[in-house]
Amino acid sequence: MIGKSIFTSSEECLISYRLKQYQGFLMGFIVVLLLSFFNVGAVNAENLTVQEIVEKANNVAYYEGQDGTAEVNMAITDSQGRKRVREFTILRKDVADGGEQKFYIYFYKPEDVRDMVYMVWKHTTKEDDRWLYLPALDLVRRIAASDKRSSFVGSHFVYEDVSGRGINEDTHELVGEENNCYKIKNVPKNKKNINFDYYYIWIRKDNFIPIKTEYYDSHGKKYRIIEGLKVENIQGYPTIIEMKAEDLNSGGNTVITYKKIKYNIGLTDDIFTERYLRRPPAQWIKR
Amino acid sequence: MKKRIFVSLLLIITLFWPFSSLWAITINDKLPDVHGFLEFDYGYKLKNDTTKKNEYNMLEQRLQLKTRYYPKRFLADWNSEIFFRGDFVLDEYFGGETAFDLREFYTQFSPATSVDVKLGRQIFTWGTGDYLFINDVFPKDYVSFFAGRDDEYLKVPSDGLRISFYNDIANADVVVIPTFQPNIIPKGDRLSFFDSFQGGIAGRNSERRLVEPPKQLNNTEYALRLHRTVSNYETALYYFYGFYEMPRGYLNEANRELFYPALNVYGASLRGPILEGIGNIEIGYYDSRNNRKGNDRLIQNSSFKLLTGYEKDMGNDFRIGVQYLYEQTLDYRNYKEALLTQDFRWDERRHLVTLRLTKLLWNQTLHLGFFTFYSPSDEDTYLRPTISYDVNDHLTTTLGANLIWGKDEITEFGQMERNSNIYFRMRYNF
Repeated sequence: MIGKSIFTSSEECLISYRLKQYQGFLMGFIVVLLLSFFNVGAVNAENLTVQEIVEKANNVAYYEGQDGTAEVNMAITDSQGRKRVREFTILRKDVADGGEQKFYIYFYKPEDVRDMVYMVWKHTTKEDDRWLYLPALDLVRRIAASDKRSSFVGSHFVYEDVSGRGINEDTHELVGEENNCYKIKNVPKNKKNINFDYYYIWIRKDNFIPIKTEYYDSHGKKYRIIEGLKVENIQGYPTIIEMKAEDLNSGGNTVITYKKIKYNIGLTDDIFTERYLRRPPAQWIKR
Repeated sequence: MKKRIFVSLLLIITLFWPFSSLWAITINDKLPDVHGFLEFDYGYKLKNDTTKKNEYNMLEQRLQLKTRYYPKRFLADWNSEIFFRGDFVLDEYFGGETAFDLREFYTQFSPATSVDVKLGRQIFTWGTGDYLFINDVFPKDYVSFFAGRDDEYLKVPSDGLRISFYNDIANADVVVIPTFQPNIIPKGDRLSFFDSFQGGIAGRNSERRLVEPPKQLNNTEYALRLHRTVSNYETALYYFYGFYEMPRGYLNEANRELFYPALNVYGASLRGPILEGIGNIEIGYYDSRNNRKGNDRLIQNSSFKLLTGYEKDMGNDFRIGVQYLYEQTLDYRNYKEALLTQDFRWDERRHLVTLRLTKLLWNQTLHLGFFTFYSPSDEDTYLRPTISYDVNDHLTTTLGANLIWGKDEITEFGQMERNSNIYFRMRYNF
């Protein structure tokens, strides 16, 4: 018994020593690997193509983590200073980074749309699928929606601002660098159903957050600005937590504030089906 | 109606009584939020008839309260919730009559990961139509619809059970309704209609009686839907075993009694993207179980129905939707031969088209809506224009109209012509 015990303990020692050796080696390897990655990253950052910058920004703005949730407050101010508020919880799951996504939006305010659910399956090569659930009628409506430039719930944001504009829909040109940002000019390839001629986007060099966008009409007049007002690091992901859309023609603006942001919460695919339209998942929507 | 509500309240309380101590709210619990609205409705009549009043056919106020509660003990492991939504109505049309309309009161829980159960008073809806229904055989309130109440009142709640099963092959919804609830249809006091016993449009002079199937266990209605989304196309199969929601049979002509004949419905539907819009198609076979041969002149024949629709977003918050409905009476020859000379003869086929236009303006606070039914075979039309404005986040005002014309008095919309109105609604949401 005693002998066995001694033997065992010495074996343990040996194993743990080997492990430590191995760990040391592993850590060293990881550090080197990370350093080399950063190094490579740093070298490449100087030589990134426009396409790479735009792709990174698109991923940072719309595809952080595998999924995520946030409580959203939208304060809409019209040209006469009248305020309206929309509040909803948004759930997002990426099917593929930079590709298809699913969104689930549950409304709290205004009161007339309370408990309504809006669901989007975002596609990159075909029209998005959209559904609306009207609880008072127990009705699941399918929504025809080809116009991504129409207002999102009456705000100064359009659908594309919320779910992202396909990066292949524009040509991109790096026109300069300002305030540690890349300034990129974007011209739509197809001007059908589009109310702007081109837009500039400022992408931060340090974290690739698209911090500001300015839209110009066909007369070269700036008429719409979207700007990130606050950026925070959430679970290691740089995230815009407050942003503003301004309509320079009408004078109104909308400020979006994101609260209770969480990434990688393990949303399952079935959340984005008729089942949860009819029965909103209490775990995510209960306040 | 009141008695029915009382009975179902009693039923629900009895059902839940054994559990009441389990889900009673304790002092430490946060009280659930209560929301709802306060509403004023007025409908100005455009034509005279023999209903109760000639000046208006709607003048009422209602307070709706709704609340959702997630119990901490009662079936809490099954993610249970309890939902209540009810209307207190003050109806000036009936001399200031007050009523409580329990819209929904149910508990919902998931006894297994892929099963949802919803028990109590609830609203059942499925199918693909827009104001047109084939496989949605659940009760509707056409008095509210023609009077110009909000769309949410088109559906009448049922007391029943819905069990939903979810899996990769096909999802299934099983609905059980032990107490038959018919459509709410004009009976002459508020809205006039074609009364065959009177041989014309009837108001308060209508004396017909609608006899519901007795409240017995063997009169329980069952509905089943199997559905699956394939790519982004929604497919569904439907089955219904119950009764017509409309009084489609004569029980006793001398006593002016109509009844709700037994009905089976078999159907299918498909909905999905097509031609840069959303298309849908739905079919149904109505098996009139009390008149399978179609030779009983007193009971509706079996029929076949087909509905197809298309909706497109034209951009700039403007949407267009069109639908076509085809209805065919089966065994029509038998029906024709069974008729007596003084009987009204219904056409074998009915065609109906609808058009919906929706335009949003002013940051989506101004809604312009236009819905039309037009039947070339019945030669009748029903226009539903609306204009509504969200004054602020709480207050919405709506001006709308129900404008109806028909060549004949007996057609579905033609008989409603004298109920044409212009209505105003103001709703404060909280």
